[in-house]
Amino acid sequence: MSENILEVEGLRTHFYTEAGVVLAVDGVSFNVLKGETLGLVGESGSGKSVTAISILRLVPRPGRIVEGKITFQGEDLLAKTEEEMRDIRGGKIAIIFQDPISSLNPVYTVESQLGDVINTHQRLSKEDVREKIAELLQMVGIPEPYVRMREYPHQFSGGMKQRVAVARALACEPDLLFADEPTTNLDVTIQAQVLGLMKDLKTSLGMSMVMITHDMGIVADITSRVVVLYAGRVCEIAPTSVLYERPRHPYTEALLAAVPRIDQRKKLAIIPGNIPNLISPPSGCRFHPRCPYAKETCKEKMPELEEIEPGHLVACYEWRNLSLNGVG
Amino acid sequence: MGGVTDDILMRVAEVFLVFPTLPLILAFTRIYIVAAGSTYWNVLGINIPVGLTIVITILGVFGWAGNARLVRGEFLRVKEFEFVKAAKALGADSRRIIFRHVLPNILSPIIVVSTLTIAYAILSEAGISFLGFGDPNAITWGQMMQESFVDIRIAWWTEVFPGLAVLWSVFGFNLLGDGLSDALNPRLRE
Repeated sequence: MSENILEVEGLRTHFYTEAGVVLAVDGVSFNVLKGETLGLVGESGSGKSVTAISILRLVPRPGRIVEGKITFQGEDLLAKTEEEMRDIRGGKIAIIFQDPISSLNPVYTVESQLGDVINTHQRLSKEDVREKIAELLQMVGIPEPYVRMREYPHQFSGGMKQRVAVARALACEPDLLFADEPTTNLDVTIQAQVLGLMKDLKTSLGMSMVMITHDMGIVADITSRVVVLYAGRVCEIAPTSVLYERPRHPYTEALLAAVPRIDQRKKLAIIPGNIPNLISPPSGCRFHPRCPYAKETCKEKMPELEEIEPGHLVACYEWRNLSLNGVG
Repeated sequence: MGGVTDDILMRVAEVFLVFPTLPLILAFTRIYIVAAGSTYWNVLGINIPVGLTIVITILGVFGWAGNARLVRGEFLRVKEFEFVKAAKALGADSRRIIFRHVLPNILSPIIVVSTLTIAYAILSEAGISFLGFGDPNAITWGQMMQESFVDIRIAWWTEVFPGLAVLWSVFGFNLLGDGLSDALNPRLRE
């Protein structure tokens, strides 16, 4: 196996609201290998995005990283000063947000926005910056880069804006890219284009990528390994093909069953109930109130991740006794 | 923003907001005129009427709070936009975020409200002077209207033209605000 670029151990990020402490991320551990695309999946509110912003140390108040260890390229990110973090953000770790419409500043041209990021992290002459911007725009498939870079975001379509956002994130050749549901607000054909683009860029730039999504189709398409999150905890980690064929966690099974399939005419399975209130999460396994296989032990103690075969980790007491259905 | 400093400033602003500006001006200029020492301050050879200065100062001291609240509200709104998050995630520091990302986006409302404030100040001064509470030693449009009010039947123009001057300048400042905010809007450029 190749080496880790990022290791997250026992990360807990809590939000101290007036209603109580929200345990948004509560003991999440995973690793990202050099050059791989890792999927971070789960329902809304499962802690996917909070995990990503915790790694970048951008958790907004009243949130706080309570404990955990984040090691990036052998360095402890939680021990860094704010100034050192600013160099890392955008320089070594970049992130693409969900909404391309609002992730570009409406009052600046594309050129000045991309130039900003480049100037924050690198010392280049004016001409070199311009040339680099043109290259970046070309790379993400924007024709006539020298003309388009002088335009404002409102002169671009949604898909083009997201391409610009991708170019901005890649401006300083980051080693690790977080993509936080980068295609949810785009229509389906543009979605496919942008995903294809990101896949290609990832390979050609040799970076690692963490794709945050709830779309199991995207996961199957571009990831090599998957981390399944539920209510701020990791349920299962496995190589993508293994996860789809032999899921070992009941939640993963339910997630896969909820994906519409064109080749099987059956009613779409839904997962009964809602994601729990994270101020007072259920005792024991967080999934037990919605789990069809839950036993007494599941209500009492929180299961830890255990490695059931090389590279396949599951946090479930019952996995030996279950034969769960995958897809494929 | 949203911290202790913000809390303190906003409570102070609220205190200023509840002060009734008009009676304060009336009272202060009266007190001044009754207790009048010198009627002019001589600064660098220029005579500055003290009563008018009091009027302007009070308008300023009690007029900032509304604007401050508006700017703060706009700031809080824009601060939550994703491009601010994105800028932060790509390594921008607070100063850069404030001056490069947030301020330009709230410039329009700031300009509009500033020019409206100018117009409002002119109007207030004219009103105060017209009521006879202004500084009799300063020549202002309101003062002119006040003094010629008694002659309105024989010399109507002495009343009408200062009034028109107030009207046009207030109107002009409003237009200026609209024009400036349009001129700075990148969506209307090209």
